[in-house]
Amino acid sequence: MKRTLHAAGALLAAGGLLATSACGGSSGQESDGKTTVTVMTWESNATNKLIDQALAGFQDPDITVKRIDTPNGNYSDKLSALTQAKKLPDLFWCGNDTEQQYTGQGLLTDWSSKLSGSGDFGTGSFDSTAMKNWKTADGRIGGVPSLMNTYGVWYDIDAFKAAGIPVPAAGWTWDQMYEAAAKLHAKGAKYGLVADAMTALDAPFSLSLYSQSAGGAPFTDDVHHPTKVTVDATFTEGVSKLVAGIKSGAVAPPGYDISNQQSLFSAGEIPMLWSGQWLAAGFLTDKPKIKYGFAPLPQADEPATLYDAVGICTPSYTKNADATFKVLKYLDSTVWTKVLPDSPVAVPAYTGAQDSYFNALDKAGQTTVASTVRTDLKASSTIGVRFTTQWASQAGDLITAYWPDILQGKKPLSDLQTMADKINEVIKSNS
Amino acid sequence: MTAPPRPQRRKLGSDARAAYVFLAPALIGFTVFVVYPLIRSAYFALTQYNGLSVPKFVGFDNFRRMFTTDPSFWPSVRATLLLVVLYVPLSLAIGLALAVFCNQRMRGVSLLRTLCYLPVVLPVVATITLWKFVFNPQVGLANQVLTWLHLPTSEWLSGSDSAMPSIVIVMLWSVGSTMIIFLAALQAVPTELYEAARLDGAGPRTVFFRITLPLISPIMVLQVVLQMVTALQAFNQPKILSPDGMGGPGFSTRVLMLSIYTNGFPSLGRVAQLGYASAQVWVLFLVIVVLIAATARFSSIWTYSDHVS
Repeated sequence: MKRTLHAAGALLAAGGLLATSACGGSSGQESDGKTTVTVMTWESNATNKLIDQALAGFQDPDITVKRIDTPNGNYSDKLSALTQAKKLPDLFWCGNDTEQQYTGQGLLTDWSSKLSGSGDFGTGSFDSTAMKNWKTADGRIGGVPSLMNTYGVWYDIDAFKAAGIPVPAAGWTWDQMYEAAAKLHAKGAKYGLVADAMTALDAPFSLSLYSQSAGGAPFTDDVHHPTKVTVDATFTEGVSKLVAGIKSGAVAPPGYDISNQQSLFSAGEIPMLWSGQWLAAGFLTDKPKIKYGFAPLPQADEPATLYDAVGICTPSYTKNADATFKVLKYLDSTVWTKVLPDSPVAVPAYTGAQDSYFNALDKAGQTTVASTVRTDLKASSTIGVRFTTQWASQAGDLITAYWPDILQGKKPLSDLQTMADKINEVIKSNS
Repeated sequence: MTAPPRPQRRKLGSDARAAYVFLAPALIGFTVFVVYPLIRSAYFALTQYNGLSVPKFVGFDNFRRMFTTDPSFWPSVRATLLLVVLYVPLSLAIGLALAVFCNQRMRGVSLLRTLCYLPVVLPVVATITLWKFVFNPQVGLANQVLTWLHLPTSEWLSGSDSAMPSIVIVMLWSVGSTMIIFLAALQAVPTELYEAARLDGAGPRTVFFRITLPLISPIMVLQVVLQMVTALQAFNQPKILSPDGMGGPGFSTRVLMLSIYTNGFPSLGRVAQLGYASAQVWVLFLVIVVLIAATARFSSIWTYSDHVS
């Protein structure tokens, strides 16, 4: 009997161990009566340190803010696991696509009523494009946009001088970009232009800028609620120019390893790099060996650019929505004004905090970055960087099946239409 | 004729109870972490389920989609089979060659065996990440060595044709475990057979193909099965080494395990397709079962046996 009791005790202990494997999650009320609001970011250690310092300035006797440490490299895995375990923190960094999908499934707190007023933190206090894209079709706002990514082309000034080409500037054309890439390649660069955005999974959205700018149809009519994708003559023309660039060696082919593209650009190995404004923050700490600039994306006739705002989301099961909203407001309106001067990673969607970003760039002498970001924010013709739909991965697989082979000449340009037809079938079957 | 002594029966019963009690944690663990997920995944395979909403029963739609409309499924099967075809024979050949070499009587053989086995005990993810740097086409050691040797460089993991062979090279880095099993098998071959063969004038080649290989053939079957399962379940290498983490370029390294993961735990912003991923799990399971059953069934053709039927 005694032995059986011991064994039963061991079993209970084992069961207890199994049951206590949960971690993380929103905190709610503490024993001292304070509400703890948890925050999870995807930022680097350096930026997180700045965020922690800024959050220390949050003064509310009833609220404690606790940031959960998570590796930024595995953020998506962590987010998936926490979502399925229903253990998301009160505030977590999220993309526009995550916000749209989670809100559609009722997983996020809808802040539309709190943002509806005309106070200093209403929908009108944000960049209009960003806020518009964060609203779902039925008017819910499952998260608040925080920073806006803009895209452009980083260039090595000395490499352009050596090749006898004028440096890129607002209004430059796609033809000028490919010509420059060809000359830089002829001058000794392995590839004149590295542009993962035009060769990887979301590439048709980048190439859509060509057709939009040339008066053609965008690749899709809406990334949130698309009814169709279109591959018209201007889109095909844009792709054919890219195919020629890849064939000649002027443009890096699909599969090019981008893991160290920033350091290669800094070292003068890549003379032209299609990327985002966020590289500027890294260039302040790890200074490139080259003189560099940042130009808006090329155009055919009219300017066109990509929009992509990230933000902060809150799960629907947050225990204290009012306290969470207070911290959210502080994060979006005040924290960035303290963080961005030291790490100008992106322009805030909250317009009241935008000066801190531009002032930091001006102070650091990054005038081309500031002017390009300003130009991008004013662009009237825009498209999202990817589908935000539930079936986005199915469309992504279709793009992967066709796009790289078309760019490398293994499949004909006419297969662009086949790809579009198949994506349209996916849209139809999911609508 | 007497009945079995009753006290002994009582003792056995008590031992059995104790055994069950001590086995209980393992049985509970097996039920919770193996049997239950198995049943759930079989159910999810017949549903549309993203891990968040209520599963919706769709019958065999997931399987239909897999075999007919999913553009990534057949390339995944192709990538998986290519990995098996490249990795299994190479790992057996290199493992056996190393074992034969390390089975010699020579100075420093223990150190040699340790060095061969060392990659197996190193942290897998760290080792794979290091290989990623080695294979970097711009600044990696592999292309630098080729340049020094005046040989043409390769795109390695960035090239759709060279990506899978590069992954096989990384997997072969851990061939030490294969070597150790072969080494144990080699050392179990009776030495008198070798002595008799030498007396009969057999050369090393004849001794290897007529004595060594037949006698270790049962171990060879085991190794084929083990290496096949390793290749079919490969995940870490393609996940970490592919430039996009999704089995690129294109679908060139998206093996079935990675395809399952990509659908079940997609990148940031994408919604999980756990129902579809579960269906893929069952297809992979069936592929493994069929391949192993076939290997076991036909192994008697090339396995040495001293039993006379």
